[in-house]
Amino acid sequence: MSMEIAEARARVAEDRSVLRGMYEQMLLSREIDTLVGKVDSHWHACEGEEAVLAASYYGLRKDDFVVPHYRGMVAAACARGADLRALFAGLDPGGKTTSYSRGRYRSDICGPIEFNLIGLYSGALGPTLSYAAGAALAAKLDGRDAVTIAVFGDGTSSRGDFHEALNLAAVMKLPVVYVCQNNQFAISTPSARGVGARSVADRGIAYGIPGIAADGNDAIGLRAAIEVAVAWARHGEGPSLIEALTYRVAGHMVGDRAPYRSAEEVAQWRARDPIVQLRRHLLESQMLGVDEDNALVLGIRERVATAMAEAKADPDSGPEAFGADQVFAECVS
Amino acid sequence: MKRQTMQEAIVAGIAEEMRRDANVFIMGLDIGRFGGPLNSCKGLWEEFGTSGRVIDTPISEGSIVGAGVGAALAGKRPIVDIMFLEYLSLVIQQLGCDAGSMHYYSNGKARVPLVARAKYGVGPYHGHAYDYHSWLMQTPGVKIVVPATAYDAKGLMKAAIRDDNPVLFMEHMALYHGQRDTIPEEDYVVPLGRAQVKRGGCDATLVASGAMVRKALIAAQALAKDGIETEVIDLMSIVPLDEATIYDSVKKTGRALIVQETVCLGGSTAEIAALIAERAHKDLKAPVRRLGTSYVPMPFARSLEKLAVPDEAAIVAAVRQLVSDLPHPTSHEKMTS
Repeated sequence: MSMEIAEARARVAEDRSVLRGMYEQMLLSREIDTLVGKVDSHWHACEGEEAVLAASYYGLRKDDFVVPHYRGMVAAACARGADLRALFAGLDPGGKTTSYSRGRYRSDICGPIEFNLIGLYSGALGPTLSYAAGAALAAKLDGRDAVTIAVFGDGTSSRGDFHEALNLAAVMKLPVVYVCQNNQFAISTPSARGVGARSVADRGIAYGIPGIAADGNDAIGLRAAIEVAVAWARHGEGPSLIEALTYRVAGHMVGDRAPYRSAEEVAQWRARDPIVQLRRHLLESQMLGVDEDNALVLGIRERVATAMAEAKADPDSGPEAFGADQVFAECVS
Repeated sequence: MKRQTMQEAIVAGIAEEMRRDANVFIMGLDIGRFGGPLNSCKGLWEEFGTSGRVIDTPISEGSIVGAGVGAALAGKRPIVDIMFLEYLSLVIQQLGCDAGSMHYYSNGKARVPLVARAKYGVGPYHGHAYDYHSWLMQTPGVKIVVPATAYDAKGLMKAAIRDDNPVLFMEHMALYHGQRDTIPEEDYVVPLGRAQVKRGGCDATLVASGAMVRKALIAAQALAKDGIETEVIDLMSIVPLDEATIYDSVKKTGRALIVQETVCLGGSTAEIAALIAERAHKDLKAPVRRLGTSYVPMPFARSLEKLAVPDEAAIVAAVRQLVSDLPHPTSHEKMTS
């Protein structure tokens, strides 16, 4: 697979449409972080990890499924076409009637299913990896060439669910791509204390599937790896595991000052900002002009601010959204 | 018309639904050529194996149920066979907490038409008896179905497969290869969420499910010889619970005994007793009683197992105590009520 990834990298580096699309998503994620971080005390910020989000979620087909990690859930939902205002309306301290769940659930960890997105319906990490296998199985049984991308953290990769899901996907040769968003921390636990293997990618060999280690801050290279894995899955070659090594520049959540690591370490990684790297490439290769870039940033800032203002003004969910009689689905078949 | 055991009837129900709807498939451990433990899937591989709709899996209950959840979200109608109900402990997150909440949390957009089959029950197959269904009552959004006869098992299975919600389908191993029922050739379903009165009576209501239904009926016969007429209700579904049928009966009898093959503490017997006490209090002539397995982990030795599980004699004794509970029921009042 590594030969194909090298070829794909050269192609992606010149693909203006893909790179611009990813760049906009990364800017959007950063802007969401900035604004939401001020209002939602529970917010899990993505600073430094945006390349993983964009490379995983950008430009998939409508009939593909995404099963995102909680860190990046809102960005994933945006990439799938969800409405930002409705997503914001589902954040703490909101739970507005205009949110996708009508205030019944939190949008920061669970995006809307109507965009073929399977979010976290509880705080337990890991089970979604088998939901991803199931969505891939559905496509396989139907003879469709849709794929599923599941993203998870390095912490989740130590759960039994990871083993069960990847093993099942491997023996059934399911069209699913597992992307580990390795930001090197499970809350405060460094990955060295969570992952016994040399790397998460190395775990792929245990399932007989490709395990690719990628630079998670290099949007172009990571995108190339994911494109190859997606094509591999789409052509019936089965699952693969990609480890996107990045760093959680932000705290685990707003308010986490991360006393368990050094300021120097954070500064080193902040200097490797994936947005800055991609911007440089776009400017140098003249896929983006400076003025254009400034306008883009301002436009996104305005879009996020407007959506947030609207969501804030939206009404809180009232008894009409409570739906005690809607716990079970009425049967249609 | 065919005479079939519960095992045969359930498999026939699954096969019919697989023929009826190409989205129905089944996955689990040893369900392919092996035919499933206790023949739980016998014949499915032969008919559907080549279509890829009978899927043997690794020992991975969490991901089997999880893959079922994912496939259901993507439009399929999976049946997952977790082999034994004692493995419910391994899939509560997927089946209960997650699948149960998806429809509600998604504001009705998500549907999880998933049937999880599980064998359980004290009987001829020694081991794996544990009945842990009550755990799932605490996670809203999951139906719990427990047939007592072959006829009902087939109809309930077909209804469960057509249902758009996650369903735990319990298969009692003592009933599995036991009594045969006459099964009609034509398509039928037994709706979820409805109990049935298996025997009429005016002195006491026996609420039972699974293998306890037969024991309750035998006990009721014995009691009838002494002039105690017991109404026996087979719940068939524990979630949703057919409360109306229970209240209607209690209104008539004024007394209720709930019999299940589970510990009473914090379980479905406790819930049903509480509901009757709350909703039918005016009709009660005696406190509601419960009979379940002893509060011990199910012992292995048959001699000890017997001590843990209520038998017909225990049900008879409990009903006798119930009808002798004072102050209200004098024979005169009974005649006139």
